[in-house]
Amino acid sequence: MTRVVVIGAGLAGLVASIRLADAGARVALLNKGTGGLQLGQGTVDVLGYAPERVQRPLDALAGFAQAHPGHPYGMLDAALVARSLEYLKELLGPGLLTGDPAVNLHLPTAVGSVRPTALVSPSMTAGSCVDGASFVIVGLRRIKDFYPELVAQNLNRTDLPGGGRLTARHVMIDIPARENEVDSSGLTYARALDDPGFRRRFAQGVAAVVGEGETVGLPAVLGLDDHGAWAEIAELIGAPVFEIPLPPPSVPGMRQNRALTARAKAAGVRVVPGSRVTGFRSSAGAVDSVQLATAGGDRDFKADAFLLATGGFESGALSADSYHNLHEAVFDLPLRRPEGHLVHGDYWGDPQPLFTAGVETDDTMLVRHPGGEPVYSNLYAAGGILAGATRWQEKSGEGIAVASAVRAADSILEAATTATTQGAAS
Amino acid sequence: MKTLSADVVVVGGGSTGVGVVRDVAMRGYSAILVDRADLAQGTTGRYHGLLHSGGRYVVSDPHSATECAEENAIISRINADAVELTGGYFVATQVDDPAWGDDWAKGATDTKVPFEEVSVADVLKAEPRLNPKISRAFAVQDGSVDGWQMVWGAANSAKQYGAQILTYHRVTGITRDGDRVSQVICTDDKTGEEVRISTNFVLNCAAAWGGGIAAMAGCPDVQVVPGAGIMIAMNHRLTNSVVNRLTYPADGDILVPVHTVCIIGTTDQKADDPDRLMIDWGEVQQMMDCGELLVPGFRSARAIHAWAGARPLVKDSRVGAGDTRHMSRGMSIIDHSDRDGLKGLLTIAGGKLTTYRLMAEKVVNAMCAQLNDPRPCRTATEQVPGSESGRNYVITHRLEEREHDRYDDQILCECELMSKGMFTRALADQPKGSFDDLRRQLRLGMGPCQGGFCSMRATGVALQSEHIDIERATGLMRLFLKNRWIGIWPILYGDQVRQTALDNWIFQGTLDVEHLPGPTHEEVV
Ligand SMILES: Cc1cc2nc3c(=O)[nH]c(=O)nc-3n(C[C@H](O)[C@H](O)[C@H](O)COP(=O)(O)OP(=O)(O)OC[C@H]3O[C@@H](n4cnc5c(N)ncnc54)[C@H](O)[C@@H]3O)c2cc1C
Ligand SMILES: Cc1cc2nc3c(=O)[nH]c(=O)nc-3n(C[C@H](O)[C@H](O)[C@H](O)COP(=O)(O)OP(=O)(O)OC[C@H]3O[C@@H](n4cnc5c(N)ncnc54)[C@H](O)[C@@H]3O)c2cc1C
Repeated sequence: MTRVVVIGAGLAGLVASIRLADAGARVALLNKGTGGLQLGQGTVDVLGYAPERVQRPLDALAGFAQAHPGHPYGMLDAALVARSLEYLKELLGPGLLTGDPAVNLHLPTAVGSVRPTALVSPSMTAGSCVDGASFVIVGLRRIKDFYPELVAQNLNRTDLPGGGRLTARHVMIDIPARENEVDSSGLTYARALDDPGFRRRFAQGVAAVVGEGETVGLPAVLGLDDHGAWAEIAELIGAPVFEIPLPPPSVPGMRQNRALTARAKAAGVRVVPGSRVTGFRSSAGAVDSVQLATAGGDRDFKADAFLLATGGFESGALSADSYHNLHEAVFDLPLRRPEGHLVHGDYWGDPQPLFTAGVETDDTMLVRHPGGEPVYSNLYAAGGILAGATRWQEKSGEGIAVASAVRAADSILEAATTATTQGAAS
Repeated sequence: MKTLSADVVVVGGGSTGVGVVRDVAMRGYSAILVDRADLAQGTTGRYHGLLHSGGRYVVSDPHSATECAEENAIISRINADAVELTGGYFVATQVDDPAWGDDWAKGATDTKVPFEEVSVADVLKAEPRLNPKISRAFAVQDGSVDGWQMVWGAANSAKQYGAQILTYHRVTGITRDGDRVSQVICTDDKTGEEVRISTNFVLNCAAAWGGGIAAMAGCPDVQVVPGAGIMIAMNHRLTNSVVNRLTYPADGDILVPVHTVCIIGTTDQKADDPDRLMIDWGEVQQMMDCGELLVPGFRSARAIHAWAGARPLVKDSRVGAGDTRHMSRGMSIIDHSDRDGLKGLLTIAGGKLTTYRLMAEKVVNAMCAQLNDPRPCRTATEQVPGSESGRNYVITHRLEEREHDRYDDQILCECELMSKGMFTRALADQPKGSFDDLRRQLRLGMGPCQGGFCSMRATGVALQSEHIDIERATGLMRLFLKNRWIGIWPILYGDQVRQTALDNWIFQGTLDVEHLPGPTHEEVV
């Protein structure tokens, strides 16, 4: 039975761990924080802009990869991406993820822009911005990260991606989740809405402001552990309801995070949270083990293969020091560094080169020297650590993460099979 | 077209102009101040934040040292709410000659700059992050001063005395009637309207832009050379006192704690255009090395924002001999009646923010002399509105305020503890202001996250006010993000890279701000 250490429990690390464990590998998933999922929206982007708005992301991938040499999608073709997204849909189930990865949906954001994405939490689908839609955007006075007038009025002046316009109006209501608290977080509301009693009162308050034929847009706080909360709220209101993602921490992201973590544990993954990998040992061109800083001393995790899924600059996996030397945090890997200046002053201009820096791999996700040979024979990488993408701008983060995770997991399993067969033969 | 009139028009709303308009108004003249943008966004919004004790100049410029020492005491009182009495040290690091401290101490004694030699052990106890290799230290009365607070205090005082303050009024011409100034012509950049102000006297306080203003009145060749310096704000106070190197004034030798941050600076590079100051990566590296010398480990601390300001250095070959009586080192008053035969125009430039009141006193004295109308200056004794209690700023003020209103009000900016109430009140006072204008008074977006969380909230709250429609609100957000970036990208390294990635995930990833419907008219100021 092959042993794998996965470092980082964001979307890539979780998906790879589950896939490996389901295939019989012994997997330890080491994680320092809470993972990147709650940074996201609870949506799965494949490709939103290239740079013009993308309607059919899978169809656009090949051309996009060609136009962007060195982009992760150059290694992860549309068939693999499609397969990987189906796999993720299975893992999360229809209660948490739905949609057709071939076609982008266009959903309202909390500032009222219309954002393309491929798969979404089912609590969001009613927000699809199509010609003739009629929305009432309802804000909660005590949540300071959601201004319904901003959403509604920007939506009203937007020419929709599929043509036409929608109409949106806004209402602010006040239903405290906690008495005497004027500054409540989305999470406070989400927890409160797990309670059926509060849910009923909440739905009543919202129902009072909804007009005939309107679809109701609410901040994405409709229940945390109870994945059916939003649907019940819609039923109580008697109108279709959709969630609009807020800045982090994101409740829909947390739901997915919790579900995938539970699924990983059920698959037998040994999840080791809250610890930072502090070092590693290698011999004969292979990584032997990584060390974890834990209370009571370092712990050594040996494995046959290692998957680096620690994320990008946002998680601290990649960094730039005051001399602009670039670093990878765990293995001090050689990085692909963009040529020329790393940053420029035009905020609305081209992507900042710095953020395309990262780890380079071959198409099995084995980490290699930029343009050269593998760094170790058993070290793979997936997700935000990969060089070549500006994920927030392209709206490509989850697609890259899931496809590279699936590819890395499959490569690790293949290598294990080959090793066993060879072992048996010799 | 709009017409106005006043005894005196002050051009420029930096510390100098605002000090001048207050003094003019307090002496009983009717006065209008115009600035092409908001108050205190020229050099006054791009300086180092130090209320000089005078210690820096005791050897290089003794006259300025004495002026600073005297004004330090006055400003700490009249602008109490803008000044934090941090205290300061001059320290000799391992590359500085401790013996120079004797020259310094003699200079300080001669110039009456209060000081005290202190033991290295005591300094390190008070400031444990300081370089343990320092060999000698003197304590002085340096403070830190919020230039925006100081300027608004003085402006409010001027208003109480009847002065009008017109921001976003750009001077485009000055007309003369024979050998006298007669009118100042401005454009109101928020409405596009022309505004003509009839007047007897123009006080040109446009600093680095002053040459252009003088030329508009037909007084050519007033050369003001911008001497640019960069500053970098670090995300918290590495020291609680001002720290100066004990050397002849040089680059990067001062660290100033201001509000929640501390600021390292500065440099001096001749610039061509005060509206286009560049922050060079080489200069950033130089500041980092200087920081390391004062506080070891400085490079791994987090830089959050950088900016550059232009010292207005007057190089005038045509200064009349008679002008010297108005001059003190580092500050020039040009009397255009002597120089160009034009009455009713004085140009002032140079000096320091610390001596803003004194500069105003001198130039208004010069005006009174030309008008043959001596009136006494009273600015040194009267506190500006907001400073009546005499209570100086302390860093915990906001925390104290929030502890009082936390059950009634939301916090829009957690980094700087700015409440929604503070924001809506400032917006009501300045309904045409940009978020940067409000930021300068509120510190919106100035903390570690650099607007990551508060920009969207500010936009939503602004939209709730009756003056701001969706196009403008969206435009204000776009402009704010763009302007914050001006000060972030030059120092983007270390932990701020991580913050920027997070901010990009929020604005582009989650909110897709870059694809909001385009404005029909982009906010540019
Ligand atoms: C790098 C640096 C660091 C410094 N640090 C310190 C310090 O720590 N302590 C200290 O005491 N001093 C310091 N100083 C000095 C201090 O900042 C300046 O002396 C002071 O701010 C100058 O103020 P001002 O009003 O003369 O100029 P400004 O603030 O530049 O005001 C001039 C104004 O004129 C306006 N203007 C220009 N053209 C027009 C027009 N056509 N119509 C209308 N208005 C116009 C501009 O918009 C501007 O607001 C520093 C200076 C620099 C450059
Ligand atoms: C004492 C002090 C303390 C500070 N503390 C902090 C802090 O804690 N956190 C923080 O984030 N910032 C801090 N700052 C910096 C501040 O946020 C601004 O970057 C700085 O004051 C520049 O002014 P601004 O806001 O008017 O310009 P910006 O916001 O940089 O730009 C506004 C406008 O000015 C123009 N402009 C920009 N740069 C230049 C330039 N170099 N020359 C001419 N025009 C230019 C732009 O075109 C733009 O239209 C501090 C500044 C001072 C003086």
